[in-house]
Amino acid sequence: PAGGVSLRLCGTRAASEGVNKPVIDRIIRVDHAGEYGANRIYAGQMAVLGRSSVGPIIQQMWNHEKEHLATFSELMVAYRVRPTALLPLWNVAGFVLGAGSAFLGKKGAMACTVAVEESISDHYNSQIRTLMEEDPEKYKELLQIIKQFRDDEREHHDIGIEHDAEA
Amino acid sequence: VRCQLSPPQRPLQASAALRRVSDEKKKEPLGSSPQQQFDSHPADHQPEQGPQGPRPSYTGQGGQESEDYESEEQLQHRILTAALEFVPEHGWSAEAIAEGAKTLGLSVAAAGMFHSDGSDLILHFVSQCNTKLSELLEQEQKLVQLGEAEKKPTDQFLRDAVEVRLRMLIPYIEKWPQALSILLLPHNIPSSLNLLTSMIDDIWHYAGDQSTDFNWYTRRAVLTGIYNTTELVMMQDSSPDFEETWRFLENRVADAMNMGNTANQVQSTGEAVVQGLMGAAVTVSN
Repeated sequence: PAGGVSLRLCGTRAASEGVNKPVIDRIIRVDHAGEYGANRIYAGQMAVLGRSSVGPIIQQMWNHEKEHLATFSELMVAYRVRPTALLPLWNVAGFVLGAGSAFLGKKGAMACTVAVEESISDHYNSQIRTLMEEDPEKYKELLQIIKQFRDDEREHHDIGIEHDAEA
Repeated sequence: VRCQLSPPQRPLQASAALRRVSDEKKKEPLGSSPQQQFDSHPADHQPEQGPQGPRPSYTGQGGQESEDYESEEQLQHRILTAALEFVPEHGWSAEAIAEGAKTLGLSVAAAGMFHSDGSDLILHFVSQCNTKLSELLEQEQKLVQLGEAEKKPTDQFLRDAVEVRLRMLIPYIEKWPQALSILLLPHNIPSSLNLLTSMIDDIWHYAGDQSTDFNWYTRRAVLTGIYNTTELVMMQDSSPDFEETWRFLENRVADAMNMGNTANQVQSTGEAVVQGLMGAAVTVSN
């Protein structure tokens, strides 16, 4: 399971004080949208390959993404960030991508996972760089969360490679 | 040497002021009253003279400000706040601002600092009301957290918040339709929309909204509609203490609560349909 990252949320005002609001807003909104999309992708894959041999692997990765989404939802409330208006779009697009890649077979699903997790890792890395440039101390908690999630996504990527290569 | 920077709208005054310092002219080029403080700073050889009390000055003087000087923005706030008293008589206009400036001991020419359509005064007022509302909601939240007050159900919370905010218009209600039409002018829409959306967001935040999906937008859109329509009803309302308005508000909020239930029903139906289609697709593919 994804590492236990606990969130000390001491009220929304405390969370918002002194932070570069536009930067944090964008980061949290994009990450929330990304995790939501990832959720839907795995949901689509499970819908097709749930009963196959890779079912449990996909389910495990999906559970991680659910935890990630929950964390970003909490952060969203704490920092009073608006969610992306394109959520309904990501809802459908993610599911279609997941189900579509799964219809191509197990290899297809894993290839999709590898590609998606690759770009998510890069994306998290550039966010980590941005926050480090801003103020590593002020954003310590957020940095910790993003680093943890980046490691989780890399793990998914490696799992995908493993199964892609085998199958 | 104490340099003066005039506000950006009056470059003529800046060059005139500089000329005055170098030529030691006494007469001010625009013939404004001797009371005008922000251009009457004496030349170098009279640094100690001038009116007592806080003198307005401008930021950007190269570190020559001291602590008791206020910034231009603070001065503008003071003038606009003072001007509100004259709105019932003069409307949202440069006249009201000029009267406000006079009560602060400034020249009526101070009104030239602001837009001629009165939008600065209106936006200042709206912003002030929104801040007051946020403070009240914050206090209420603290009382609930301390256990000294009951947490209100959502519909009552929204009703009360909108009522409190709209009641702030009552002293200016005669002139408020004028204000609304000015706020709808294209060049004012970004600012007025900004103020409106942040107020609505504040109300929902204190109402306890924690939605992170599309509901976030739906709720704010619905509340904005309720607020705007109630405001318009209030303009036409002649009942004692605006009771017709508050009844209208109550009905609209009740409608909104029902809308939520209906939306849920629609969504469940939609989900069921989608599941059916997925099942069919999987069956066909197997």
